[in-house]
Amino acid sequence: MATRLTDFYKQAAQEFGLAGRIKLAMLTKISSEKAASVDDSPENIRIFEQALAQLRSGG
Amino acid sequence: MEGCLQMKISSKLMLFFCGVVALFVLLAVALLAQTRSVSAGYDALLRQQVRQAQAARVVQVSFKKQVQEWKDILLRGHTPADLAKYSGQFHDEESQVRHGATVLAAAVEDPAGRELLNQFLAAHRTIGEKYQAAYEAYVGNHFDFKLADSMVRGQDRAPTDLFDQVVRRLNDDVTASVAAQQRAVQHARNLALALSGGLLFGLGLAGFVTVSNILGRLGRLKAVSDRLARADIEGLSVDISGPDEIGQFGNSMQGVHAAIEELTRLASDAGHA
Repeated sequence: MATRLTDFYKQAAQEFGLAGRIKLAMLTKISSEKAASVDDSPENIRIFEQALAQLRSGG
Repeated sequence: MEGCLQMKISSKLMLFFCGVVALFVLLAVALLAQTRSVSAGYDALLRQQVRQAQAARVVQVSFKKQVQEWKDILLRGHTPADLAKYSGQFHDEESQVRHGATVLAAAVEDPAGRELLNQFLAAHRTIGEKYQAAYEAYVGNHFDFKLADSMVRGQDRAPTDLFDQVVRRLNDDVTASVAAQQRAVQHARNLALALSGGLLFGLGLAGFVTVSNILGRLGRLKAVSDRLARADIEGLSVDISGPDEIGQFGNSMQGVHAAIEELTRLASDAGHA
């Protein structure tokens, strides 16, 4: 279970609403459904962290 | 090969174009070198063997003219003016034969041909002395042509046969050199054909593999795009990657696919709420 990746979606929804979730999916190329099933690998965490940072910077 | 597959399409096309240009430059240089080589070969042939064969024919004709002049001396030499005229012409032809044969003997590289020429020169000197003795007998015996003729009759046969052998040998040499030159040209032509054919085949194969790879991945990308356009995302997988333009496009499509999946899920969640 990828709890950390799912947390990134919750965080994006909290900060940017539904649009944030969609943008996060677009930037990471992993939907929330898929994020729940893939590993919390360091690589995946790094991708989500970068995507969230990009959302925060308005990109 | 691996590095080539990792290249962008624009780089692959540029590499292919450069390959085609390089191939044609290489072929042009090879053809130029081959033409020069053939030209040099024929120049050498003309400078040496053909020129020697021509010079030999000139000496051969001069010797026949010398013998003819001797017959004119015997036939018309009873007149002082004719005697002086034909004697002069006889000695001119004799000098030309000697000079021509000497020059030829120095130039001919074939040892057997040179030996024949030396034999001819010796025989020509001997017959020259006999002609001189016969001439003196002819003039000293009130132009007795029968006496003079009996002294040299048939003596020109041996040198004539010797020189005929020289001419035949030089002509055979020219024929052999032309045949060798033709063989060299044929070999060079076959080599150029094999080389250019091999290079063209290699370039064509590389082009075919590159185009097939690009078209195959474009086809997969179009299939993904068509399914996205139809909103048919159930079980859709965008597995097109790579460092080139198609890979980058596939990567973007993965983002779009994930966004549509997310949107669909949100819509579904909203519907259930």
